Amino acid sequence: MKRYLIVLCLLVAAGTAAQAKEHPGKAYIEKNGYQGPSTCEAQGCHPGTAKAFLSTVHWKHASPVTNVENLDPGKEYGMRNRIYTMCNGNDIVNNLKEIPPNPKTGKTKFTGCNTCHPGDHLSDVGSTGPEAEAAIDCLLCHSSAYDFRERKAFKDGKGRVVMGQDRSVKAAMAVGKPGVKNCMVCHEAAGGGVLIKRGFSFTRETDAHAGKGMVCVDCHGGKDHRIPTGFDPNNWASDGVRVACADCHGASPHEDKDLNRHVARVACQTCHIPRTGGAFAKDFTKWTQGSDGFYEPTTLSKEANETAPAYAWYNKTVSNTPTFIGPKGSRGDKESRIYPFKTYEGKAFFDRKTGKLLSMDFAPPMATGDALAGVASAAKTLGIREYDPVPGWQTVYFGSSHLVTKEKALSCVNCHAQNGVLNFRALGYSEDEIRKLTSAGIFFDKMADKQREAW
Amino acid sequence: MKRFAVVFLLFTVALAATVFAPASASAEEVKLVGVITKIDIAGPDATTATATLKDNKTGELVTVIVSDELTLDKFKDHRIVPGDEIRLKYEVKDGKNISKYFRKTAGC
Repeated sequence: MKRYLIVLCLLVAAGTAAQAKEHPGKAYIEKNGYQGPSTCEAQGCHPGTAKAFLSTVHWKHASPVTNVENLDPGKEYGMRNRIYTMCNGNDIVNNLKEIPPNPKTGKTKFTGCNTCHPGDHLSDVGSTGPEAEAAIDCLLCHSSAYDFRERKAFKDGKGRVVMGQDRSVKAAMAVGKPGVKNCMVCHEAAGGGVLIKRGFSFTRETDAHAGKGMVCVDCHGGKDHRIPTGFDPNNWASDGVRVACADCHGASPHEDKDLNRHVARVACQTCHIPRTGGAFAKDFTKWTQGSDGFYEPTTLSKEANETAPAYAWYNKTVSNTPTFIGPKGSRGDKESRIYPFKTYEGKAFFDRKTGKLLSMDFAPPMATGDALAGVASAAKTLGIREYDPVPGWQTVYFGSSHLVTKEKALSCVNCHAQNGVLNFRALGYSEDEIRKLTSAGIFFDKMADKQREAW
Repeated sequence: MKRFAVVFLLFTVALAATVFAPASASAEEVKLVGVITKIDIAGPDATTATATLKDNKTGELVTVIVSDELTLDKFKDHRIVPGDEIRLKYEVKDGKNISKYFRKTAGC
């Protein structure tokens, strides 16, 4: 009898689990079709979700920012309006549009920073109201059967640029928790191409979490579409919720006490993300013509795990000047820890009069290669009448929180050696301390024990 | 004199091996940028696909076999479609072109 009850319980549990995977409401969608957010909110499902979504970073591409210097505290910042040298345009000056015809081919195309915005472009970044709510492309992030042929920009009968959406029943029947693909559709191709901006791929081969079958939202799982993020010095907008390694792994993640001692001053990423990738330099003043006749900013890039990070103290506040965007912190600041960063240098035009970086509308240079025409178009959009453009460089430190590895993590000798990856002098250590920190004496007995155990 | 000739011969052979071996190895991998003219994939469960690209430099059509999961998935949901420009690396094995790197050139 007891065995029978156990089997029955297991069968009920299995049935419940199977039901949990099946998204309810499919019968309704099959019968009524899919009309967008109104379908998601029909029959009392997901009430108020569309309206709430309009206040998130994914819709506004901006938020109040409290940890970055030289910002107006009364304004919101993000890719809607930022000016920096990875993306020298933004949603405002480089709004999705049809670019002028290429003189060589006569061809044109649609492009703009807000191409990834989950609306239809008529309801654009930061828009509000019933029309905006109805324009949300829920399935872009939630369907595993989205047909991306539908998500193309086109001109409607009134000549307006519209971003298409897949609102088919087939796509709607495949809704669920976002998979890696749903996130990477936008996040892997930001900054001018695949793996350009962030430089990481989230695959079994490149990330320990992906290797365990995890998906992006297992760590970046948000409530009410407010997505937790880390403190990347170059990713300013946030929904006000944060994610950190310690949320899952705790403050003492190792069995080894010496390794746990490091956690107070060395971020997990420093040892467990020893490599970076992606673009390491880009020149917005010189555009290179592709074989299709269109121009792109000249870009130097590597694959995931092909470049070495820079290491710096970081207290989660950010230095923001025309020539440098990156971590603030120091050895003496107890809030600071040593983090790895993907470093990037971008060349663009600065205003000689103010020293400030100028932004660019990509449409003119993409068609003709004329970068200054792009600056002029952006200045016109922003109402800047007088400026004197001069080329200059800006360095950006990107956070490095993916490409996590356990097997290839840095060990004692990777840092505590005279040719180690950490520049202790630059990190604020004295010559005496450096001699001690880079001597085999600091780790010899421990590594000898491990070597014996391994063999 | 005979010993010198033998040493000279060995040196020449070694030099030739050094000079020519990497060239023949690197000739196996071909790089090109081209536009997709055709994608053939046998349904949603397919584990390989063939893609034909028109080489931008030569104008020749090149057909490659694609089997990496990420690219296949992009074929299946049409994130990569005919007309897209691709940066391609492939190797020739048993007379077949095997894709090793298949990336859209365009970004945001």
